Amino acid sequence: MLASLLLSALLTVFPTDTISDYYEVETIPTPPGLVAETGGLSFLPDGRMAACFHRGEVMLYNPKTKIWKLFAEGLHDPLGVIAINNRELLVIQRPELTRLTDTNGDGLADKYETVTDQFGMSGNYHEFAFGPVRDAKGNIYISLNTASNGAGIRDEVRGQYDALGRQGRMYACVPYRGWVMQLTPDGKLKPYACGFRSPNGLGFDAQGRLFVTDNQGDWLGTSKLFHVEEGKFYGHPTSLVWRPGFPDVDPLTLSVKSLDSMRTVESIAFPHELMAHSPTQIVLDNTGGKFGPFANQLFVGDMDFAHLLRILPDEVDGQIQGACVPFYSKAGSKGVAMRIGNNRLAFAPDGSLYLGQTDHGWLGAKGIQRLRYKAGSGVPLDIMAMKLTPNGFNLTFTQPIDEATARDLTNYNFRSYYYEYHRAYGSPQMDVQAVPVSSIQLSADRKTVSLTLGGLKSNRIYELTLGNLQANNGQKKLMNHLVCYTLNRLMK
Amino acid sequence: MSKLLLIVSLLLSTLPTHAQRDTLITITTSAGLQFDQKRLVIKPNSRLRLIFRNKDDMAHNLVVTRPNSRLRVVEFALALGNKGPAQHHVPIIDDVLAHTVSVEPGNIDSLVVTLPEGAYPFVCTYPGHGSVMYGIIYATNEPKRLPPLNDDLNIPNPDRIAEASHQHHQPANHPYALTLPAVYRTFMPDCGPAAIAVGLPGSEGGQSYVFDAGQCRLRYAWSGGFVDNAEQWDGKGQRLTKIVGEIYYRDTGGFPWKIGSGTQQAPQFKGYQLVNRYPEFRYSINGVEIRELIKPLSTGRGLVRTFAFSPTKQAITLITTAQPGIRLRPSIGQLKNGEVRLPAGTRQFTLTMSK
Repeated sequence: MLASLLLSALLTVFPTDTISDYYEVETIPTPPGLVAETGGLSFLPDGRMAACFHRGEVMLYNPKTKIWKLFAEGLHDPLGVIAINNRELLVIQRPELTRLTDTNGDGLADKYETVTDQFGMSGNYHEFAFGPVRDAKGNIYISLNTASNGAGIRDEVRGQYDALGRQGRMYACVPYRGWVMQLTPDGKLKPYACGFRSPNGLGFDAQGRLFVTDNQGDWLGTSKLFHVEEGKFYGHPTSLVWRPGFPDVDPLTLSVKSLDSMRTVESIAFPHELMAHSPTQIVLDNTGGKFGPFANQLFVGDMDFAHLLRILPDEVDGQIQGACVPFYSKAGSKGVAMRIGNNRLAFAPDGSLYLGQTDHGWLGAKGIQRLRYKAGSGVPLDIMAMKLTPNGFNLTFTQPIDEATARDLTNYNFRSYYYEYHRAYGSPQMDVQAVPVSSIQLSADRKTVSLTLGGLKSNRIYELTLGNLQANNGQKKLMNHLVCYTLNRLMK
Repeated sequence: MSKLLLIVSLLLSTLPTHAQRDTLITITTSAGLQFDQKRLVIKPNSRLRLIFRNKDDMAHNLVVTRPNSRLRVVEFALALGNKGPAQHHVPIIDDVLAHTVSVEPGNIDSLVVTLPEGAYPFVCTYPGHGSVMYGIIYATNEPKRLPPLNDDLNIPNPDRIAEASHQHHQPANHPYALTLPAVYRTFMPDCGPAAIAVGLPGSEGGQSYVFDAGQCRLRYAWSGGFVDNAEQWDGKGQRLTKIVGEIYYRDTGGFPWKIGSGTQQAPQFKGYQLVNRYPEFRYSINGVEIRELIKPLSTGRGLVRTFAFSPTKQAITLITTAQPGIRLRPSIGQLKNGEVRLPAGTRQFTLTMSK
């Protein structure tokens, strides 16, 4: 009894500092009868949220009144939506990108216009269509999943059939499977970049650059974030059959070495079982601080983990690389935990982040949650940036670090490894090495720690496990201890 | 050598791993134009040898059809007229998967068929028998999921028919009650993968049709219900949506419009506009935009297809493929050799299709 009194007294004096003190998650009730396998989320200019669901419904949610209304129905597995205006949405569904318009103002879409269907369908279940996202110039991007040899194809397919694309675990026997497509403002759909397996997340960073996530599997030793540029090949071979000028061969007959030389590597790898199993949508924190201290950073969802990933970008000689760190890991408040299955993310005008969840026959969850930064809760102690230096890394934190913890060598444990690029499914961590930290420097504002490491090598992941760094005389605890930097290019 | 071995093992690994399964079932007749067994359950892809022993006092056959195609096969058999006996009353259409010959009383015949997962009607297609003498073969790994015998709409049960017409309301699949007309874009059988199923209001479960958005054309129509999406929605979305009812019409032809006399481009699907919940499809070919609105006949089975054309100087020709038991009535012009040439300047045209 005395012990527990003492304990609670201690807790009052030294409250535990967790991410749930800064962010609150709540579950958004969905209407009865709705199977909330969420395929897309987007906010309308008037503040309502559009959401689309596996069984073909598109619904509008008013966060003020908490009322849901049906907008459209009967779509085939819609997996993405963007609002054009208060009466018009763009939705991607299996067969096409569709413009839904409420032309008569009765609140229901009556026009279902095919914006583009210029890609093939074999009928294989894994041929999902993702997107759309729109850049500043008005180009729209969608991505097309490859098919899975977990099932076959239909007798009738849409589009040209190419048996050379039918080989392998994930295959592209109809046009542009495994591609990111660009729809220009004049309505032309262009094959934009290829080499994707299951590109379930598209988004732009603060500079407007296009990024796409892809899922661990054959040819992907681990899940990845790619910076996508026109004409490039990102590593999963089957989609090469649809590349203009590609010879009439099964891409799998090319040597790994030549495929490796053709591909553009990921900007950031998400180490499997640590960071991600199945990464989803990418969103830019454009809330100007309403969502906390991470303005202009990218967040990425995952199907299997009850956390998001936060991207810490770096650039070395024009090579985009950088680190990822979990966000809101296994957290929750008032008895509500963040669920897994975070397939879609969208920032609301009030700066809160809506999470659209699905399972879709895999691991995951159903429903919608909302993650909100608690105004006035202060700034959590977390890593803000990780930048490569000629002989190590600079870690910048959200707060000045208590000097004793910052200078403690045992608080920085590095391992490095790589994932094999090969046809097999996934990859173990290869050539795992401990990397000792030889010296530490602390900036004058105590926010940046400069670590010197022995023998940095390119094309490896540097996985850093941080110890108990603290701030504000021990009152602030470090929120996340694991950060993984993808080192593609060394600094000269 | 090791390379060769690798190739051989790769080849082997692509072959189906399960062994061929053989199933032997003997089926006979019982009183009142009935098969003695009305529901057969087998494993998918097993090789079914079905022996038909006719103990009745009249001749019968046994025809295995594609899913939901029993009535269509029966109608085609009827349409054979006096050619029927020579071909054992079995129409030569894709919907027939296997059949016996005419089996005289006391005789025996057999058929062999391999069926992927699905529900396959079997029926006697002798004139007048098809509406009562039938049953169903379920090729399934999950026999526990089959409906109880009394609720199985695939087997004859006169007591249930009156009641069945009230049961076509969908269970609560959505946060609203499904209202007909209704549209589902989904994977449908016997259609390209960009299929649009449309359920229309009407008595006795109404009528439904499938429009192929890939080919821009009506593929088939059925009566007695709409669709069952349960398996398509379950899991990852590989399995097809099921038809509820009986297919009475299939368009075995191609795209129905010829614009001008030159090369015909592939039609391009443009979407649809809901008009009182009926989808009006839009597609274009050779520079002409066509709108198509499909409504049910006010009585009986059939569809009224209303087309509108954007202005063009090119000749417009409707091309149809005759389907036994189906009558086509053009609002303008005459059906000659399966074609209707629309007069120059035609902007609207209606094709009434009736059973």
